[in-house]
Amino acid sequence: METTRLQQKQQTRQKILAAAYRVYAQKGFSAPTAAIAKEAGVSHGSIFAHFASQAQLVEALLEQFGTQLGAGLHDLAENNADLQGLLRAHLALLARHEQFYLHLITEKGQLPPQAKLTFANLQSVAAYHFGRVLQHTAAAQNGVPPYMLFNTWMGLVHYYLMNKELFSPDAPLLPRYTDELVHTFLTLAQIGEEQK
Amino acid sequence: MKTCIACGMPMQKPADFAGGDMTKDYCIYCARPDGTMQSFAEKRAGMIRFLQETQGMEKAAAAEIAEASMRKLPAWQAQFRKGAAADGDAE
Ligand SMILES: [Zn+2]
Repeated sequence: METTRLQQKQQTRQKILAAAYRVYAQKGFSAPTAAIAKEAGVSHGSIFAHFASQAQLVEALLEQFGTQLGAGLHDLAENNADLQGLLRAHLALLARHEQFYLHLITEKGQLPPQAKLTFANLQSVAAYHFGRVLQHTAAAQNGVPPYMLFNTWMGLVHYYLMNKELFSPDAPLLPRYTDELVHTFLTLAQIGEEQK
Repeated sequence: MKTCIACGMPMQKPADFAGGDMTKDYCIYCARPDGTMQSFAEKRAGMIRFLQETQGMEKAAAAEIAEASMRKLPAWQAQFRKGAAADGDAE
């Protein structure tokens, strides 16, 4: 009996988190908890039976998101030894969460401290795996530090995302620009390769 | 799947574990050359160095992130209860 109740409680909690993900992806993190309750099909009070505050709900959601995306990044790095494969897999992974990720990077300054940590952890996982591949590029051999190459890649991707209204106002941005972003970065990273 | 108690890294294959020993709770990156687990100060310094090297972070910002990550990991709970985070600030 007790297990069933516990399972139900877990299920409701999961349902609220999944609804919060969808609502925040669509409307950003300032969306009211009432909208999340409606999306989850639970009463407004039920949210606060599972999370003491909206901040705690956001923290739990980001922790879950960070773990998921971090594991995805880890896997793609294990399976993509070359830079092109890694870049494409990275964008494919972010594309699955494009809207949510975009709100996370643009609004993280206003989010609870956990958001900053989630983002930092994600960057650490990505930076570590990218660093292992980037250190072999011509650019790195020519003295550009691998962290600078990683930051250049993230800068490029985030610039396009943050200015989505200029580049792809009506459709998901990453699928549309993957070829161009990957080609551009690869070309830059490989400049000077012939002279070696 | 196990995750390292000292840094949170997922450990899947033997090579991820300290000394290749899958019964260990910490990873290859958290082990000293003799196989024992790094101390709080060693790990903290290592994480700061890692953040600086892989992301080019400023040192104080890297320290803040290193401590926030360590605060969540099972291996360092006692240190944070003692309020020892600042002790690692040597150097
Ligand atoms: Zn570790």
